[in-house]
Amino acid sequence: MAPTSLSHRQTHNLLLISKLLGHRDTASPLTLLIDSLEQPATPLIKEYIRRAKISKVHVTLIAFETLKPLDGVDSFIYARRKNPSEIAKEVATAQQKTPTRRLILIDSINPLLRAQRANAHFHLPTFLSSFLIPSSPSAPKSDTSLVVNFHNDVPNPPAQSPYQPSPLSTLSFLATTVITLHSFSHILAQKAARDRSLAAPVFGLAEEQDGVLLGRLDKPIGNESTQGIVLEMEHRRRSGRGVLEWYILPPASSYPPNQLKEIVTLLDDHPLYRPPVDSGAQEGEEEPQSTFELGLTDRQRKDREGVVLPYFDAQQGDGPGEGGRILYDMGEEDDFDEEEDEI
Amino acid sequence: MSFRKRNIGLSAGADRAPAPNAATAQPEQASTTPESNPGIRPSPDDGRPTTSTGSLSLDNLLAGHGGLPIGKMLLIEENGTTDFAGALLRYYAAEGVVQDQKIHVIGMPEQWGRSLPGLLGPADAGDDKKSDRRKGDRMKIAWRYERLGEFGAGVAGSRGWSSPMKRNAHVRGTQTLTRVAPAATSGDQTMTDGVQPAFCHSFDLTKRLTHPSIANINYIPLVPSNEPLFASIHKKLQQAISQSPPNIAHRVIIPSLLNPTLYPPETSQPDILLPFLHSLKALLSAPTTRITAMVTIPLSLFSRSSGLVRWMEIISDGVIELCPFPHSADALGASGAATSHEEPPQGMLKTHRLPVLHERGGGSDQNIGQDWAFTLSRRKFEIKPFSLPPAEGDKEAQDGAASGGMPKKADLEF
Amino acid sequence: MPAQPPLPPLLAPYVSALPQSSLTLLSSVLGATGNWLILRYLYSALGAPVGDAAFGLHGSEGGRKRKVVLVSFLRGWEFWRSEAKRLGLDLARLTDKRQFAFVDGLSELFYTPTPSSQTTTTTSTSGPAPSRTVLPVRSQPGPLPARGVPQPAPARPTPTNPHQQVQQQSRGPGPVKRLHLSGTGVQALDALENDISSVIKQLKTPVTPGEEEPEILLIVDQPDLLLAATGPAKGIGATEMGEWIMGLQQNVHATVLALSADSPLIHNAAESAHQPSTPLEMESAAFAIGSAHRAQMVLQLRNLETGAARDVSGVLRVSKGGAWGQVDAGAEDKWEEREVLYFVQRDGGVCVFGRGE
Repeated sequence: MAPTSLSHRQTHNLLLISKLLGHRDTASPLTLLIDSLEQPATPLIKEYIRRAKISKVHVTLIAFETLKPLDGVDSFIYARRKNPSEIAKEVATAQQKTPTRRLILIDSINPLLRAQRANAHFHLPTFLSSFLIPSSPSAPKSDTSLVVNFHNDVPNPPAQSPYQPSPLSTLSFLATTVITLHSFSHILAQKAARDRSLAAPVFGLAEEQDGVLLGRLDKPIGNESTQGIVLEMEHRRRSGRGVLEWYILPPASSYPPNQLKEIVTLLDDHPLYRPPVDSGAQEGEEEPQSTFELGLTDRQRKDREGVVLPYFDAQQGDGPGEGGRILYDMGEEDDFDEEEDEI
Repeated sequence: MSFRKRNIGLSAGADRAPAPNAATAQPEQASTTPESNPGIRPSPDDGRPTTSTGSLSLDNLLAGHGGLPIGKMLLIEENGTTDFAGALLRYYAAEGVVQDQKIHVIGMPEQWGRSLPGLLGPADAGDDKKSDRRKGDRMKIAWRYERLGEFGAGVAGSRGWSSPMKRNAHVRGTQTLTRVAPAATSGDQTMTDGVQPAFCHSFDLTKRLTHPSIANINYIPLVPSNEPLFASIHKKLQQAISQSPPNIAHRVIIPSLLNPTLYPPETSQPDILLPFLHSLKALLSAPTTRITAMVTIPLSLFSRSSGLVRWMEIISDGVIELCPFPHSADALGASGAATSHEEPPQGMLKTHRLPVLHERGGGSDQNIGQDWAFTLSRRKFEIKPFSLPPAEGDKEAQDGAASGGMPKKADLEF
Repeated sequence: MPAQPPLPPLLAPYVSALPQSSLTLLSSVLGATGNWLILRYLYSALGAPVGDAAFGLHGSEGGRKRKVVLVSFLRGWEFWRSEAKRLGLDLARLTDKRQFAFVDGLSELFYTPTPSSQTTTTTSTSGPAPSRTVLPVRSQPGPLPARGVPQPAPARPTPTNPHQQVQQQSRGPGPVKRLHLSGTGVQALDALENDISSVIKQLKTPVTPGEEEPEILLIVDQPDLLLAATGPAKGIGATEMGEWIMGLQQNVHATVLALSADSPLIHNAAESAHQPSTPLEMESAAFAIGSAHRAQMVLQLRNLETGAARDVSGVLRVSKGGAWGQVDAGAEDKWEEREVLYFVQRDGGVCVFGRGE
């Protein structure tokens, strides 16, 4: 990638994630977090709250799973055994006298999706939009973002009708931003395997091992750098264009809670994910001494990559290359000797 | 000469149990019944009361307790359409009948009780006399013991049970049941005659059991009533148990649970089945009663990989899976039989959970994880370690080695 | 093998000092049950005589008094009493001292005993007593054998034998409650919750006025049985169970939840499974995984992958659950994730060691 486009991507996408995490400009009214036991969303939710506190956003936590209010939450709605309509009502009352900028967090939507009590009349889009759309037209227009967490490893409830989309599909469709969370150490392990053309390792529940719920184990102490969360973000702009980017969020212990500067970086910029190529050190000294030029120029390398090997053609089964014959177009560099060479 | 004798020695004790012995065993049995603990003895492992399953090698398999501990439920799962599990149930029932315990059979008609295997005698006492008479045999036993070294005390023999029984245990290949200190010495052995009632008996599947208390078997039929099926079974079971004298031991037998020819389809719903099993467990673990239970289930209908069966296993105290080999006698000839004298195994036996042991955390028993093979013959259900024989081509070499060893043994013995 | 301390040092950080309102999930499989670990939690909270205070577990010095409520759905009182005795915990005495309460979810959860059982229990007063001298009916014939027999709830007209009644009077209202599930859906669970909460409250009320309110540790042993044996057909699903646990959690300091995590109960419901999963499998998986998301710490027991071994009972993996790090607390961050092997000895002692040690 050309250095200019990379730096452009860096600035652009970092600005975007700042906007998304900091709820600026209503960048994303509905954000869906997809987490799993291997990388729970807890640190990201705390990061949302931290940023909201800095920018004085009112935070509401609708707790289906959480027992105790998290630090920094302004109103804590305990959703245990409550109907969706009751929850919506409570949220509305909690927000009556609040500033216009609000953040509503749902710690886990799964219990609601599975609840026996909700099955009959529950309609997920209505429930979610009830938070975003003001109840009465006279109410002042507010700037609300909703962040919904979905545990991807909890089995989906049986669909009410086989023709309905699954809850996850519905949520992804509704959401303007979808953030899938991965553990950094797993991403590194998978990349290492990919680099060696090995099958990517799986962790935790995906191992399908008897008795294993969680595969995650701390790396040896002192290796702070593999901590952190990888965020796979998919954002839909109002223009309709989609943006896909991978970020890394460092652990909360690595920066002060009132840090204003952006801490999220692109995954590609992380030294462990993409080690900087020590081009200077490698070339020059390590090359074997020879009178021949063993290296390739950029153009030569590009040409080499462009060569279609015979078996590619052979597989297609039609066209001139059928059967794997080598078709070679001579270039001007070719030194063809009528007497020696045969085609 | 020696060859022949050895053969006799090796065959099961039941083989030589003479009819008179069985007769004498019976009065002994009767005389000890008033002592209120027929067929119950403390476990050599931790002293908890145990009772025999009616099959010596199954007793030996049960985590060092030498029997099924009181209050525990054993789930026997069987693959395929064979009925080895049914044979185990019959042994279990017959042992209970002989020990004057109260038997409760669920879902089976009275014919089931009439087909219990006939009594041959105590699994050990019959052998005892025999081996006393034959010093040669005894010496051979001793010799075998030396060879077995640290396997000195089989669990089954460790508390006043005679050494021939131990020998049986070893010959049957349960030599890994050894964690008890070698307590079974000759001193204990003197108790065998008359004083101690037999704990485990041997039975003959081709004969029919005749015993006065066979009429006392309580059959709980599966009849539709206005109550839920399992609730009414449970109630009947509970009534029968509470109405019997407090000291009597009970055996609950549930053959082929969920078998669709016996049970209505809705019984395989977890919300109907699991409460029943849970309540059965509750009944068993009530401190005032002495109940054991054995349940069998056809695995070909209800796979072990299903959540329902797994829950049945979690509720049960012991889980044993039988995997019979495909029924082809020729192919089996070579597999698993250590020597040509032994019968080829008829299937594999897996222990997934053992009573008491796994409740505590599991692991310390040496039988876990071992591959077991079982052989059902007329007279016994035998469980021994499964080992693949040398490759087919080595058969001759193996035979040669065996016959080469033979004279040597004879030299030692005579 | 040498005698082990009741609480192996490697295990101590994980079973002691559970943070406020935390949930600890303890998952087990068929061949590697977690009862021994539950006993270690009991010991850590109740046992640890003063001499053993090196782990800083004992409540009398420093922190508040610890009390434990154990709700067991798969094991009876006899089992816990006799197993705790192996660790030197006398649960009957602790019940008398109101430091411990047992809630029996086994005996009468689904079917209640018929009234005719009256005859048995009364006659048994004279019955087993002589036989005990010959053969113990239960493994632990203490000086007062009948003491450990679960006391029926005072309100329930369950038959008791006179001997027990005398004992019960002498020790006051023993907080041993038997749960009974009746009805369906949330109402049925609410009734159970009330029963358990009342036991917790009873234990909380100070014996002497002015006493500090004790920290209650609630241990719920295999509530997934309740889910498996009811299911969506009875209006109880994973969400309802999870909320039931949350309701119980509100009353106590910390909660330990023991569940089964056998492969059929967890992985059959996964989307990659080859066959459609049954509601039982779905709900079990949702409950177990959902609980892991809510837990601060997840202790997973499983069999050794390489097959059974003579000196290893299983593998214990301690991982941070989904809720780890939710609340900033100094003490709770002190443990680290790790995987160890354990071996339950015949005497009830447990060795815990790393691989290759």
